[in-house]
Amino acid sequence: MTPAIETSHLTKYYGKSRGIVDVDLTVEAGQIFGFLGPNGAGKSTTIRLLLDLIRPTSGSAKVLGMDARRDRLAIDRRVSYVPGELALYGELTGRQLLTYFGNLQGAVDGGYREKLIERLELDPTKKIKSLSRGNKQKVGLVAAFMIRPELLILDEPTAGLDPFIQLEFEHLCEEAREEGRTVFISSHQLPEVEHLCDRVGIIREGRLLAVESISALKDRALRKLEIDFGEPVPAEAFADVPGIRDLSIDDSTLRCTVMGSLDTLVKTAARYEVCNLRSVDTSLEEIFLAYYGAGEGSGEGAASSDAGKETSDAAA
Amino acid sequence: MLLRSVFGKTVRDLRWPTFWVALGMGGMTGYFAILFPTYKSIIDLNAILEKMGPAAKLMGASVGDASSLVGFLHIELFSMILPALIIAFAAGMASGFTAGEESRGTIDVLLSYPISRRRLVLEKAVAVTLACAVSAVVVWVMALGGAAASASPLPADKLAAALVMLVLLGLDFGAGALAISIFTGNRAASIGVAIALMVVMYLVDALAAIIDVFNNIRPLSLFRYYMGSDPLRNGLNLADVAVLSVVALFLLVVSLVAFERRDLAA
Repeated sequence: MTPAIETSHLTKYYGKSRGIVDVDLTVEAGQIFGFLGPNGAGKSTTIRLLLDLIRPTSGSAKVLGMDARRDRLAIDRRVSYVPGELALYGELTGRQLLTYFGNLQGAVDGGYREKLIERLELDPTKKIKSLSRGNKQKVGLVAAFMIRPELLILDEPTAGLDPFIQLEFEHLCEEAREEGRTVFISSHQLPEVEHLCDRVGIIREGRLLAVESISALKDRALRKLEIDFGEPVPAEAFADVPGIRDLSIDDSTLRCTVMGSLDTLVKTAARYEVCNLRSVDTSLEEIFLAYYGAGEGSGEGAASSDAGKETSDAAA
Repeated sequence: MLLRSVFGKTVRDLRWPTFWVALGMGGMTGYFAILFPTYKSIIDLNAILEKMGPAAKLMGASVGDASSLVGFLHIELFSMILPALIIAFAAGMASGFTAGEESRGTIDVLLSYPISRRRLVLEKAVAVTLACAVSAVVVWVMALGGAAASASPLPADKLAAALVMLVLLGLDFGAGALAISIFTGNRAASIGVAIALMVVMYLVDALAAIIDVFNNIRPLSLFRYYMGSDPLRNGLNLADVAVLSVVALFLLVVSLVAFERRDLAA
């Protein structure tokens, strides 16, 4: 089966400043793929190269098996896109805008469009300029889904959406996958996409660090934990817990980060009186740390461990 | 209805600006045409031109011109005000074709639909050309109406010829502003440069009548081709039409090629 996206040594410099470097990314068709990285890592640059909005310095990209540059129009007939900084024509109402975009695309199933408007609770009679960020985002999402594209490219799509609509959005993505379509979602927050995506690619400072299944990534993820005990606990009791690091015990409160399974830590803690246990969401930066800072990752180059070092410096 | 294509959307965007420009230009022309006999009876316009001496030539006027409505319109409107208005309109609109979409951030979504960059620019260019033409027709109708009301002779065909030249001049500067906006990505700068060029070209053309140096570089001024053969009296000069048309097409092609090649602003 032809991959939905396939880049080869894709590189983009803006003058001297780095966009992305040597990105080899393959996204199989029929998946929900998360494209993760901190702000400025090169996510939008990669996406804009796929859509031929900007041109690569070197390397090439294929979308649905077609050359991103040469076959742009054929690609655009089968792909839809919601940019991160979504800007729409403020003077139009939501419905007018959807009509316009539908006409530019060609045929649109009007019934499906109305269903989408209903599901995302969009008021299509309001002018775009009067809409909040989240409501504007809904217009963009309806426009993207209504054409039933083979590939959806969504750059930070859930920004500004309330939780209920976010859930509906996730259902739409899952339905698209069930119909064999591909969804490519960029995000700088793993928790936002981890339960949605089949696989994720991680990009940092313009380089693709890894492509992993979500479960493999989670196994390596760091969890930050704080445990309040009913009594002072000895540090030695926890020192040998596998995957534990940054262990500190302040009287009866234990703080640490753990990579991988929490099983041993929880069982060890259970020997004492546990009053409270807090787990802090792992940020992407910390996942990078887990991946590369500890040297237990997939053995990428020196650039990767540098990246980890930087993160721990920043944290300190 | 209009939201079927980029062309339609552009026409929709242009409807109010076009309405005001057409009304402004047409209203002024009609007003002068109606009031011309009154002016003529109150003020000896030719005497004023005579007193102005060489300065009258700066306005593109010769003594004796002001005794007819045709000469009066030439001095009062076609030499400066109408070109300034249509150039500001065409340059203002054309500079926004791509730079406007880029600075608003709408170009990313727009070009994720199956429209080539070339078609995007061409459809917008056709819409602006249409808007300029509609404005010219409004001027034509209102001027002829005013002339009829004041019983002043104004040949419809010669007036149409002058308006064709006016539209072509506007399109030249529109295409120029488009090219600059595509090279710089900066809408304000492209309007500014277009207006500055208009002023310089106007002055070169006007001063050519009294200063020799400017006479030598006069062919570089588009105003030379616009009114140089006095279309309001003589009708269309095909060579002048060709020059203005070729300039507009050349600048459009340059714009298309440049836009096709470059990165779009995020």
